[in-house]
Amino acid sequence: MIADWSHEVVLAATILSWFIIGAGLAQTTIYLLQLVVAGYALSNRPPVARSALLWQRYGDVAPPIALLVPAYNEALNVVESVHSMLALEYPNFEVVVINDGSKDDTLQRLIDAFRLVKFQRPYEEALAHQPIRGLYSSPMTERLFVVDKENGGKADAQNAGINVCRAPLFCVIDGDSILEPDALMRAAQPFIDDPERTIAVGGTIRIANGSKIEAGRVREIHLPRRLLPLFQVVEYLRAFLMARLAWSSINTLMLVSGAFGMFRRAEVVVVGGFTKGSMGEDLDLVIKLHRHMRDKKRKYRIQFIPEPVCWTEAPETLSVLARQRSRWQRGALECFFRYRSMLFNPRYGRVGFLGFGHILIVDVLGPVAEVLGYILIPAFWLLGILSAEYLLAFTALIFTYGVCVSVCSLILEEAELQRFPRARDLAVLTVAAVIENFGYRQLNNFWRVKGWWQFLRGNQGWGEMTRTGLGGAGKK
Amino acid sequence: MWYIWDLSILLSALSLVIMLFLIARRLLQERRATVAADQRRQLLAALIAFTENRDREALKATVLGVPAGVVIDAGFEFISLLRGEERDDVLVAFIECGLPDRVGRQLRKGNVAERIHAAEMLAALGSEDASASLLTALTQDRSREVRIAAAIALCDLGSLPLLGTALDFIGVAGQRSRRLIELFRRFPRSRFNELAVHASRVDASPFIRAAAIDALAHAGGFGFADFFASLAGDAAPEVVAAAVRALGLTGHAEAPAILKRAMANDDWDVRAAAAESAGRLGLPELAVPLSRLMDDEFWTVRYAAANALRSFGQPGERLLREIASAEVSRSQRTASLILAEGPAL
Repeated sequence: MIADWSHEVVLAATILSWFIIGAGLAQTTIYLLQLVVAGYALSNRPPVARSALLWQRYGDVAPPIALLVPAYNEALNVVESVHSMLALEYPNFEVVVINDGSKDDTLQRLIDAFRLVKFQRPYEEALAHQPIRGLYSSPMTERLFVVDKENGGKADAQNAGINVCRAPLFCVIDGDSILEPDALMRAAQPFIDDPERTIAVGGTIRIANGSKIEAGRVREIHLPRRLLPLFQVVEYLRAFLMARLAWSSINTLMLVSGAFGMFRRAEVVVVGGFTKGSMGEDLDLVIKLHRHMRDKKRKYRIQFIPEPVCWTEAPETLSVLARQRSRWQRGALECFFRYRSMLFNPRYGRVGFLGFGHILIVDVLGPVAEVLGYILIPAFWLLGILSAEYLLAFTALIFTYGVCVSVCSLILEEAELQRFPRARDLAVLTVAAVIENFGYRQLNNFWRVKGWWQFLRGNQGWGEMTRTGLGGAGKK
Repeated sequence: MWYIWDLSILLSALSLVIMLFLIARRLLQERRATVAADQRRQLLAALIAFTENRDREALKATVLGVPAGVVIDAGFEFISLLRGEERDDVLVAFIECGLPDRVGRQLRKGNVAERIHAAEMLAALGSEDASASLLTALTQDRSREVRIAAAIALCDLGSLPLLGTALDFIGVAGQRSRRLIELFRRFPRSRFNELAVHASRVDASPFIRAAAIDALAHAGGFGFADFFASLAGDAAPEVVAAAVRALGLTGHAEAPAILKRAMANDDWDVRAAAAESAGRLGLPELAVPLSRLMDDEFWTVRYAAANALRSFGQPGERLLREIASAEVSRSQRTASLILAEGPAL
């Protein structure tokens, strides 16, 4: 009787272990494939070195762009941010700041700094959003418009901006991010090279913590001095240079970051704009675009290009980072289940198989399987239920392949882009790429499982995102 | 399952070794970068001195003393700031130093970005064999961006093959690029007929045809008005919209009738273009069809129609006020919005 029972336990433990190792194996295989595809794509697409050349080459044919900047309680940085956006190097653009019912004096600061006056501007009420209280223009520059509206959240503010803007392309950026001067010109390039098919383009987000920032510009690039943002530098490299570049090169890019993405307005309006109240409104929009274009059987491209850079501030404390990661996890789950009919649906081709398959393995199953593995695999081995082979396979998938994938992302960056200015930075990042797999990765997965739990409980809160401010001023 | 472990150790070790190699390479590059920065400063100083004393021999001595890569990079950045005789003199010095050969090699062997830049530099240098090198790039390069850059450079040098042939070399995928608009805008007046022939080819892509019409409208002027009028009846909406916009720039005796027909087109882009052109040409006889367009299902069309009416001056504004004070409708709302546009009272 006891022997029968132990046999069942061993069988159950073996099946569970196979599930955990299988999920890890699938995830690792995806990462390694992404590395190969991204490496190939990067080697075939070397960057243009100087932005002056781009201006000469594309200046006359660059399409108009509206830069949409939602601002909620951004009084401390908003004026400096808008000044830096107005100084971007692009021949034809307007900046539309959307004050999303801020409780502080964001609007008043803008009114004072740019001598804003109320203005009537006819616009298409194509997307629903909270009522607009007023539109403002500036006698100092015809490029700036401010939309003052009642609070409705980021997606709602972006939808208001899409309604008000008149350019065929719009670029969304966070109010506290910093665009490099030539970022618009570089991001617009796919819209110039293939204007009929390109409907969205994402650029690289980089972490500005530690860099020297003056007058809304990153003057000197430095690595963060604290460990937590340093690990995030490696993480962002992996996410952008490896995953997004790889999926983009096979037209399966599922995410154009809400912190910096450029879209063709007409298609975004047709799919209903950003989904209000969504935890992952950027992922949601890109999935809607894929679904719409495939339903209509139209040829299209959603691209990631590594050159245009937007700088952002990474969380420096565990509590803020935990909230951010749990929210990202909820966003991914929400989109996965909302559009689950696309999963492995032949109608959606590689988007259904590769794009949704990736979300399933990496975002839906990945964190749960990994956290289960941390607990069960060593326990089964200690109890003598599983052989050391299983323990080593699990260790390999989590730690050694983790090191390999992180270091390879860094190799891609150095071999093709070389954006870190000093050899010393590379050495520091290499060490960070190794040690992030021992502790930081586990924490991250714990937060993601927490996100799973919050998703199941229907927790829709964004949580407070405390920032110190890129210019150095503290804000919440 | 041992192979999972073994392979992971092998791959991780390999990645770390490669990374260490790259760090070492970077250390070497940092040292070389300091030398290159000095050479760049030296060259720029010589170029600035040349613009003052025109001592070509001294400039050539400096150019020959620094690596060609530095001259190609910094030298061309500098000449993009010069114009006229000064620029020509620097270019002659560059040619005498054998720079076209180096740039030609970059056009053949560089990466995509370098090859595009090389095509632009060869157009600036305008040396004897520049056209031959560019023609080779147009016909043989793997990248469509390079082929387009070579076509633009050849156009600047006056050596572009027949347009149809050049477009065949650029390829179907390249024919979607907005860069072709730039190519067409650089076309010499003596070859406008080629653009016209291409614009009327029904087998060509509508995007290319529209780009050709646009270039002709901006540079060709009234001489092509009849041609645009004939294309306003084309089957491709993109071509019709471009022709209607072109008529708005050139004008034509038949413009009112053509624009009125275009305002009833099934394609919203054509209707919007017709409304814009009616406003630009100032054709108050089209006020009635324009006021009908203010009820169009597309905002862009409604907005263009209302703007056109407003551009007619007092008669148009009067009509807009009448519409704005009528019963609530899409037209009424559009008219109200247009009349309110501007600083709030």
